[in-house]
Amino acid sequence: MNSIEYRYDGTFQGFLCAVFDIYSRRDDPVAIHPTEVPSLLFTDKYTVITNAERAERVWDGIVRTGGEKTGEHIYHAFLSCEKNVEILLMRYLRHLFLCKRPVMDDLAYPDVLKVFQLYRTVSREAHRILMFLRFEQSADGVYFAPFAPKYDVLPLTLNHFKSRFASQSWIIYDTARNYGFYYDLQTVERITINEPAFNRETGKLARNAEHPDENQWQALWQIYFKKTAIAERKNLLLQQNFMPKRFWKYLTEKRAIV
Amino acid sequence: MDTLQKLEILSDAAKYDVSCSSSGSSRPNTQGGIGNAAKAGICHSFTEDGRCISLLKILFTNYCIYDCAYCVNRRSNDVPRAGFTVKEVVDMTINFYRRNYIEGLFLSSGIVKNADHTMEQLINIAKHLRISHKFNGYIHLKAIPGASKELIREAGLYADRLSVNIEIPTEANLKMLAPDKNYSSVIAPMRWIKNGIDEYQEERRKSHRIPLFTPAGQSTQLIIGATPDSDRQILSLASSLYRHSDLKRVYYSGYNPVNLKDNRLPVLEKPPLKRENRLYQSDWLLRFYEFTVDEIVNETHPYLDQELDPKLSYALRNPHLFPIDVNKADYHLLLRIPGVGVKSAKMIVMARQHRNLNSDNLTKMGVTMKRARYFLTCNELPSPSVQDFKPEFMRMLLTANIRKKGIPDALQMKLSL
Repeated sequence: MNSIEYRYDGTFQGFLCAVFDIYSRRDDPVAIHPTEVPSLLFTDKYTVITNAERAERVWDGIVRTGGEKTGEHIYHAFLSCEKNVEILLMRYLRHLFLCKRPVMDDLAYPDVLKVFQLYRTVSREAHRILMFLRFEQSADGVYFAPFAPKYDVLPLTLNHFKSRFASQSWIIYDTARNYGFYYDLQTVERITINEPAFNRETGKLARNAEHPDENQWQALWQIYFKKTAIAERKNLLLQQNFMPKRFWKYLTEKRAIV
Repeated sequence: MDTLQKLEILSDAAKYDVSCSSSGSSRPNTQGGIGNAAKAGICHSFTEDGRCISLLKILFTNYCIYDCAYCVNRRSNDVPRAGFTVKEVVDMTINFYRRNYIEGLFLSSGIVKNADHTMEQLINIAKHLRISHKFNGYIHLKAIPGASKELIREAGLYADRLSVNIEIPTEANLKMLAPDKNYSSVIAPMRWIKNGIDEYQEERRKSHRIPLFTPAGQSTQLIIGATPDSDRQILSLASSLYRHSDLKRVYYSGYNPVNLKDNRLPVLEKPPLKRENRLYQSDWLLRFYEFTVDEIVNETHPYLDQELDPKLSYALRNPHLFPIDVNKADYHLLLRIPGVGVKSAKMIVMARQHRNLNSDNLTKMGVTMKRARYFLTCNELPSPSVQDFKPEFMRMLLTANIRKKGIPDALQMKLSL
């Protein structure tokens, strides 16, 4: 029998359906790849059809066997988009369903540890959005924040921003993946901006798209940032450790003095 | 003077207060309100000295009637003075918050007129934020030594955290450097805050609808190196504050030479960063590693070892307790192993239920085996342990292992947690 390669649409739902099909067809694929990844030579192909109900059944099975936290580990690890993460997760799930109890504690089991580490990495990236995201108020009053996280984790942060900034309308935009979310004081909806009024690289709003008061607050924040440091304790290495340079382009305090 | 100039002066004047934490409170947002508090706290930026910015940390004014020798804002110091208006502080807090620059406000002040008057000013701002602007972000207020009980209790209704700075670890030295202050004026507000929190928790058991009272508790700060107090004196004070006054945090601030003319103060070229770092490490041992002060410093060793971290130096003084078997020892003992942190100790306890752990497993879980290997055994042939070497050799081995270019006060990160 030839080895078989699974192809799916790249979504988490699609992946869960792949798991469903693997069990119902009793397959043992050598790879599970999103359709945009070039397929392997010399394998049979099987294309997964995404189906919300099947995805739901697999998800329920994961949560029932492993608990909510296991579900979170699996989902966050999936978002890492690490090469062949689908096969890793498939092995994890086989192990989980074979043991019929949570296995996330079994950290000396290589697949469990790997999934845990990916979960941690992805969660940390999501937390960095909460830390380093910066809003600029635009001329029409909406608060706009660009970001380009390493992983596709913007959706994980929406509840935080929605409850915290409930009384201001905002847009949080992933400039690398070119989509974002708009909150209109009622609901959050997914949007794509085709003709941006912001710099594509840094996400900075054009001067004429800014609220007239915006400049003043940015200037105050920059002064504060400078003055609150203690010169005698200067330690740029430590600063960079906590605040990696890749985030600096979004940070109001690290932009050129306005 | 415009707001920008005032901010320059009043953030500069506030920077020596090292507390930056925004944790411990989970105040929810309210209908039509702004903000909430995140239980674990969130850092929003890091200054060039590597310390985190979580709160807008400013003084309401740096005019001060006191003349504490160690303080940059002392009456006799010739520095530019300024004072904010209530509106300026409120607007800045709200606008910084809306842009996700900060978790909230940390407001302190020089003493104007008297302690009560100053405390009233701080409360007034917190009240404006909470009531007029429905601000539910984090507010840390300084409890002014000498302020009345009523005012301290009122402050607790609006603040997430209150702090009274002890600054000087022994009363005699405080008297010498700060003639206007005394220990009882510092200790009294601490007690009132503690009582307020205790009463709140009691009431809370009966009803969930009572207003919050300082949900993130209280903290204090000790200045290190301005006076000849020993590490043992400092840590004993900290430990008793944790145990008897339920303090959430004691901060240690290496004395920055802000007063070169006063011969009551030592001449330092730089703040004592290494010592400060060792004190923070010891503080962690007290709070998370179940150590007592006497295990860290004692009569024969009143000062911390500058070369080795306090846990390592404890282990070298007590070689008979090692090596510890990671597959059997209980959690409390695991915490004693140098190179095993709280996280890895918890992971070990979980993972070993499923299978015995070897050194490769431990490394992957984040144990620093470079250090830990001399102090533990695992599912492997035993390797030489601390018992097999002379103490001097062991010390050499471990100090050679310490990363030379390292980050001197990496623990600062944890100030926010």
